[in-house]
Amino acid sequence: MRDKPKQLPVILFAGSQAGTATCWQPAVDIYRSRSGWLLKFDLAGVRVEDVEVLVEGCHVTVRGVRRDWVLEEGYWHYAMEIAYNRFERTVQLPCEVPHPHTQLEYRHGILIVRLDTEEGSR
Amino acid sequence: MSDTERIHILPVLPLKNSVLFPHLLMPLAVGRPASVAAVEAALATEGKEIVIVAQREAATEMPGLEDLYRVGTRAVIKKMARPDESRLELIVLGVERVVLLKAEQTEPYMQVRVRDWPLPDERSTEVEALHRAVVDLAGRALSLAQPQAPAELSQFLVSTEDPLRLVYLMAGMLSLELGKEQSLLEAQTRSEALRLMHAYLAHEVQVLELRSKIASETQSEMSKQQREYVLRQQMRAIQQELGEKDPQQAEIELLRERLAKLELPEEVRKEAERELGRLERLPPGAPDHQVIRTYLDYVVELPWNRHTQDNLDIARARQILDEDHYDLKDVKERILEHLGVLKLNPGAKAPILCFFGPPGVGKTSLGQSIARALGRKFERMSLGGLHDEAELRGHRRTYIGAMPGRIMQAIRRAGSANPLLMLDEVDKLGRDFRGDPAAALLEILDPEQNKTFRDNYLDLPFDLSKVFFITTANALDTVPAPLLDRMEMLRLAGYSEEEKIEIARRYLIPRQLQQAGLAADECVFTDEALVEIISHYTREAGLRQLERGIGRVARKVALRHAEGDPTAVTVRAADLVELLGPPIPAPEELRKELPPGVATGLAWTETGGEVLYVEATLLPGGKDLTITGHIGEVMQESAKAARSYIWANAARLGIDPAPFKDSGLHVHVPAGAIPKDGPSAGVTMATALASLYMQAPPRSDTAMTGEVTLTGLVLPIGGVKEKVLAARRAGLKRIVLPRANQKDLRDLPEKVRAETEFVFADRIEDVLAAVIPGLEARLSRAA
Repeated sequence: MRDKPKQLPVILFAGSQAGTATCWQPAVDIYRSRSGWLLKFDLAGVRVEDVEVLVEGCHVTVRGVRRDWVLEEGYWHYAMEIAYNRFERTVQLPCEVPHPHTQLEYRHGILIVRLDTEEGSR
Repeated sequence: MSDTERIHILPVLPLKNSVLFPHLLMPLAVGRPASVAAVEAALATEGKEIVIVAQREAATEMPGLEDLYRVGTRAVIKKMARPDESRLELIVLGVERVVLLKAEQTEPYMQVRVRDWPLPDERSTEVEALHRAVVDLAGRALSLAQPQAPAELSQFLVSTEDPLRLVYLMAGMLSLELGKEQSLLEAQTRSEALRLMHAYLAHEVQVLELRSKIASETQSEMSKQQREYVLRQQMRAIQQELGEKDPQQAEIELLRERLAKLELPEEVRKEAERELGRLERLPPGAPDHQVIRTYLDYVVELPWNRHTQDNLDIARARQILDEDHYDLKDVKERILEHLGVLKLNPGAKAPILCFFGPPGVGKTSLGQSIARALGRKFERMSLGGLHDEAELRGHRRTYIGAMPGRIMQAIRRAGSANPLLMLDEVDKLGRDFRGDPAAALLEILDPEQNKTFRDNYLDLPFDLSKVFFITTANALDTVPAPLLDRMEMLRLAGYSEEEKIEIARRYLIPRQLQQAGLAADECVFTDEALVEIISHYTREAGLRQLERGIGRVARKVALRHAEGDPTAVTVRAADLVELLGPPIPAPEELRKELPPGVATGLAWTETGGEVLYVEATLLPGGKDLTITGHIGEVMQESAKAARSYIWANAARLGIDPAPFKDSGLHVHVPAGAIPKDGPSAGVTMATALASLYMQAPPRSDTAMTGEVTLTGLVLPIGGVKEKVLAARRAGLKRIVLPRANQKDLRDLPEKVRAETEFVFADRIEDVLAAVIPGLEARLSRAA
């Protein structure tokens, strides 16, 4: 509103409608296939055991923690741009996936979530 | 959540003047060594978490736990960069509010034990109502503060379902004081937080509304002018594009050019340039714009230093004057004298002359002729009936429709600073509550003052000392004495019969014939015809009636020509009855023989001289002196003095005193409708009375004038020339004058002097002797 001489809290806009703004949100690519969906989450440096995937109807939520485990004695930060700590991203798909068959794969820092109907997997 | 999860030991980053709310991102600059160390420690953990707390006092450089608020925010460092070695720049994201429990470590940075303290979820109608109210207020505040704010922002506010998050968002956007922010953060319940936010927002909305009201008020005032200004700028741009000059600018340029070319006195130039500057700054619509423009036009057009070259060729000037006017020796001589002076001293002040005399003697045309002789511009104005001083001096420029006075207007028309300015009818100036124009004339006609004549409109000194002023008047008694004193009086008394014939031959006949469209030989006047017109069709000192008479004859002849009779006409005296009708009956005709008690006097009037008869008769049985004939006080007194003298000297004059006792006396002066005054009829009264008492008729061919005293002295009078000419017009060729007026005969035309018999009287007895035949015998008898 008025110019405030001190530091200004900034609202996080992008993609903040879903989920809370208290954590960071990984980027996502969404693919459509004949039988269902494929979602690619950019989750480099996240341990697989720290990730949780929830599929509820047409909502797919991925949340977890990215820990800065590459910490070595004698080094300290000069700059930091990678977001750490808790993350959460909920993706709303345009239509519900009936009887989903979920398949997770974590490769080269990308989490791949496949959602296929029973028929599609057949 | 278990207790262990809710307890954290984290580095602390104290903030000055600011509070970080959960859910919000905040950029921070960190410079204090303890803070840098705390940030570095936080970055060295897997979670990058840190506690952000506001300091109670911004001035504290090394705050301890007691210097911090008890409630802060647990945050994750999202980004970090080092613009230089000693400083860090961070972006932190508030995660959860925490209560600071205990300091675990203070060196090199503070590390505290904190417990998460999330606000309990609360779903009540109160929260719902407060939530809606805050959304509403927030929307209003937003639209007031930034009318062009993106729609997403207000959309975002409305769509934020969590009321707490809305409160924190709004707290981030409003610039609240630290105390308010902290109390928001420390709110015990959601409804408390909402209530606080509602109060803050309400205040903010009030302030914003006031601000926008003030802004809109000033804007509406500005916008009209602004609009006009913008349109004008656009017009100017279009004109430039079209290769046209801005008309206003062009006008100003023109004025400036003209001003630069003129040779102006320093004061005038300064003033004119000042006004030009003002003009340039004024928009053309401003009411003052036209006023200043007209003023500048006037200043530029006035002949400040423009003089016409005087014609100093005296011989030529004399020739021009003689060509235009017959006789008038005195006046011509005076003009030529001035030319002589100018030749020797070019800086000489112009004289201020006053021509006075009866109408139609050529005062105005003489002025024109003088201008021609001198080679000056001629301007005339009539002051007759002028009663407002401002007419002469102008109105100050503050008045609407203000104009310069008539003097400056005449100077502008003349286009030179040394014209001949003729002020006609100076004796007919009016005077009323608006001021006395004669007083203004005093300045204008004073060579000492008119060097710096200030017109009220121009408000600049103009040098009138080179202007040749000539005023004209018919009579001088209505002209204020101080004004008379400033002028050199030159009398144009009127013309004798011979002069009139000469003037008619030279000027009037050619002019009237030309106007009637006749050639000079188509209508010829004989001398007798002219004499007849002068003596029987006109009674005047001037020439207007004569010219009209000639004009009538000329038109009659022209009519005959137009009707197809092309023969040239010679107008003889006998033809005049046919051409002009019957002659005007002259009163003298009725008085070929005078009875006892009637005497012929001479009077001076504005229109020249007049013959005046005094009649006296005895009133048997009466006692008093009755005087009639619209007579003024002075004339009544002179009648009484005359009677007293006759009564007192009855024995010496051989008068029988019996009628003095038995009869009253009536003196009458025709014509009874014309007002008369003055002492110069004294001798006439005395003569009439003497003739009455003696029962001896006076000579009818003799006129007389002069003031009489109680002891019988005859005193001089004025207007001799007019009176003599009037007597001549009446056919009287013998005139009795006071001895002291003998010198005035010089003014008379040669011919009149030669043909008239003058008798000069020292005492009343001399008059009586000259007028009443046989008086000598009576006197000697009485003696």
